[in-house]
Amino acid sequence: MTLFKRTPIAPLDYTRRLWMRAWVGATLFFLYAPLLVLIAFSFNDSSRNIVWRGFTFKYYGKVFENDALVTALGNSLTIAFLATLFSIVLGTLAAVLLWRFRFPLKAGLEGVMSLPIVVPEICMGVAMLVFFARLDWPSDLPWPLNLSAITIAHITFCFPFVTMVVRARLAGFNKEQEEAAKDLGASDWQAFRDVLLPHMKPGIIAGALLAFTLSLDDFVITFFTSGPNTITFPVKVYSMVRFSVTPEVNAASALLIFLTILLTTVALKLQDFSKATA
Amino acid sequence: MQDWNRQKPAFLALATAPVLWLLAFFILPLGIVWLYSFGRNVGLTDIDISGTFANYARALEPLYLEIFGKSVAVAALTTLLCLVIGFPVALAITFAQPKWRPWLLLAVMLPFWTNLLIRTYALITVLRTQGYVNKSLGFLWDQASSVKAFLGLAPLPTWEPLELLYNNFAVILGLVYVHLPFMVLPLYAALDRMDKSLIEASLDLGAGHLRTITRIVAPLAAPGIISGVIITFVPALGAYLTPDLMGGPDSQMIANVIERQFKRANDWPFGAALSFLLMYATFMLIALQALRTRKIEARQ
Amino acid sequence: MNHRMSLEEFRANRRSILKTMGAAAIGISFAGALGACSKKDGGKMPSTGEEPKLNFYNWDTYIGDTTLADFKNASDIEVNMSLFATNDELFAKLRAGNQGYDVIVPSNDFVERMVQADMLMPLDHSQIPNIKNVDPSFIDVAYDPGRKYSLPYTWLVLGIGYRKSKVKAKPDSWKVLFDSDEYKGRIAVLSEAGDMIRLNGKYLGKSVNGLTPADIAQIEALMIKQKPNIKAFHEDNGQDLLLSGEVDLVLEYNGDIAQVMKEDDDLDFVVPKEGSQLNSDTLCIPKGAKHPKNAHAFINYLLDAEAGKKITEKILYPTPNAAAKALMPDAYKNNPVIFPPADRLAKCEYAAYNAKLQPLYEEAFTRVRAA
Repeated sequence: MTLFKRTPIAPLDYTRRLWMRAWVGATLFFLYAPLLVLIAFSFNDSSRNIVWRGFTFKYYGKVFENDALVTALGNSLTIAFLATLFSIVLGTLAAVLLWRFRFPLKAGLEGVMSLPIVVPEICMGVAMLVFFARLDWPSDLPWPLNLSAITIAHITFCFPFVTMVVRARLAGFNKEQEEAAKDLGASDWQAFRDVLLPHMKPGIIAGALLAFTLSLDDFVITFFTSGPNTITFPVKVYSMVRFSVTPEVNAASALLIFLTILLTTVALKLQDFSKATA
Repeated sequence: MQDWNRQKPAFLALATAPVLWLLAFFILPLGIVWLYSFGRNVGLTDIDISGTFANYARALEPLYLEIFGKSVAVAALTTLLCLVIGFPVALAITFAQPKWRPWLLLAVMLPFWTNLLIRTYALITVLRTQGYVNKSLGFLWDQASSVKAFLGLAPLPTWEPLELLYNNFAVILGLVYVHLPFMVLPLYAALDRMDKSLIEASLDLGAGHLRTITRIVAPLAAPGIISGVIITFVPALGAYLTPDLMGGPDSQMIANVIERQFKRANDWPFGAALSFLLMYATFMLIALQALRTRKIEARQ
Repeated sequence: MNHRMSLEEFRANRRSILKTMGAAAIGISFAGALGACSKKDGGKMPSTGEEPKLNFYNWDTYIGDTTLADFKNASDIEVNMSLFATNDELFAKLRAGNQGYDVIVPSNDFVERMVQADMLMPLDHSQIPNIKNVDPSFIDVAYDPGRKYSLPYTWLVLGIGYRKSKVKAKPDSWKVLFDSDEYKGRIAVLSEAGDMIRLNGKYLGKSVNGLTPADIAQIEALMIKQKPNIKAFHEDNGQDLLLSGEVDLVLEYNGDIAQVMKEDDDLDFVVPKEGSQLNSDTLCIPKGAKHPKNAHAFINYLLDAEAGKKITEKILYPTPNAAAKALMPDAYKNNPVIFPPADRLAKCEYAAYNAKLQPLYEEAFTRVRAA
């Protein structure tokens, strides 16, 4: 519990100041209160999430019995993972491009790069629908190729977010570092890999988190690019609205939250472990 | 900044993939819809691209401009609130011990891996007339009332639940709830590894913390703030679900109108025109900004 | 250009992949559902001669728990159900072409839209003998005379759901929702422009299909006047608002209110005396369906008495399937919410799709919301 270590607070220990902790605590409470309600209602013995009718585990059992729900979750995570991966690469390339070079039509490219962020979801959804229909994109491929249209659309609206964040990060880069590396004999690639990339890392992580979140949550564009065999979790949830969302969905969401916490803990422990042994 | 033709291989290595991707999977699909905005409906499913400007003329009618103006105001207020709430949080993450940093980042992001619709419903559950916020406040109110009665004072009037849903307040609250991480992440990315000696210097020279933050930290984080503002404001402007589910009778935003054109009204040309007006405005703002930066650089 | 080339190669590849994989291509399997083994009538349907697959496009939870598994048992056809959220989305999506759906579930006015847009395949009644189970009053309907393109799956009627302890008298007229401040701030109505304007027209004594632009202007003024009394325009989730006590009166479909009445006996539903608007979800085959014979067999199966009963038990909406209704318990058959009194239903109409008026509805509603 180093967070509560009783040493004097250094000037820069903002995290250890009471007002800062209170602020962060209040913000997290604001973010988590609805989630706690959601998790509580996943144990509610009623087919609706409105009135408390007693405690049950049955909806967790139902999640695993419900093949369609598990498939939908699997599809969503696969798409989000692929979209994040591609978005990091494309987004970082574009960010470095815009940061480093002066070239004709640069203002235009910057404008175009910002459009996927601006375009209303439904407009982008319809554009993708018509585009893939014109191409006659096959919709009955085996998994995971049947997710290709959705993934392509997701990459398109995710990677400009990565660019935006990474570019903001690059603005604080001291170019002399890179020049120094090159003076010392590093190639372009080496300078990029060993100097620029480490500097961009927090931006890339932040961008990746954004891209993952955006992709995981998207309904409209996914709906218009999905085929008969590609139900994602949001599509499933939205199609329930007319008859009320079932607690199964709450249970699945709660499981997703627990799983994320678990995986992160394991990942961080492994990292600690590898540091300790290194 | 380097000129592109002085380092062509590096330039091409960087430019090829993103530019081709944008051309193939964004400009091309969107181009089709752009053409629709100059068309008119023929029957139920065919659009005749006649080059008409009628859709744009209709989109510029006061009715739609007013809705647009209102949406901009709502999105701007949302962005401001996100900045005010998110900046200290980003700062806290930046200055946290390295071991806690991933946890704090995750703590901010985790709620957003729950489906937006489910999250919105959960928020509605909390805010309802008979929801937890009102129940807690009602409980406190009753306690206060009984304490006053105990002290021989007149008890408080009966508790009236707050109207936390189905009005514009609810829309702003919901939008802040949904868009907060869009602000925190870019701020964190920009603040992290900021030259901390500058802050120390400022504090050593006698500036208070607030002054240091506003005068030193904020300017250093300016690129992060700008990108945070853009990626909060723009999606907030395009929000349709939150106003639909949490808003009151007059909480209609431009994205709701656009959505209806593409769906129920089945008027794609008009929906396309409305969408593209939004995009023209943003495109021009961003391109102008880029031109200005270039001029400043050229002068230097 | 380059892109197209690779696409061609991609497609060629796909074919060979599919061939080698045979029927093992991945779909969502419903075979795991437990009810599959409890199938009573063992008789297998004859094969349709198509590959045993079917893509069904429906709302989630809008089918019996074991229906798809039972159908697979009876016919060997594997049904893959994918999901849409609103009729508008269904229409918008199929506008660009059929991506492989075999059976879809549009509502009556969208059947009209799709017929006008030439998006539906005519049904071959000889392949659907269970048509005899459908209540005769649902065979000759204005939106699809002779049932050429659609067969009814469920039907609904709009009315007022209310909390009995919070109203002074039974809200027997649209007046309480559309033209009165009696329940100020405790009312939620639909956010669908056409339905709202047509029902306001009904309140004014007009037919839902007989409105003129002048009527729409009059209704717009009425709606703007009533707006301060309305708490929310809901997205067809009014039953939840009513159940949670957020509002006391709500414009909703009878089937939705019937579902929440199981949870709270302080709720009730009434079709106002001025009459109302009917709605029916139907089974159709979109043009370009790859398994039309399977689709016919599936529609026939859904109209079966026993299968219809299981579906009705799950979704509790009024069923147009007379044979299935006969198998249901009295609590369902005699429920005045699910089957409102005949004299009230006689005043109800299906809304026809009107391509000329639809944009006027939308614009009027946008003005109401902005006012």
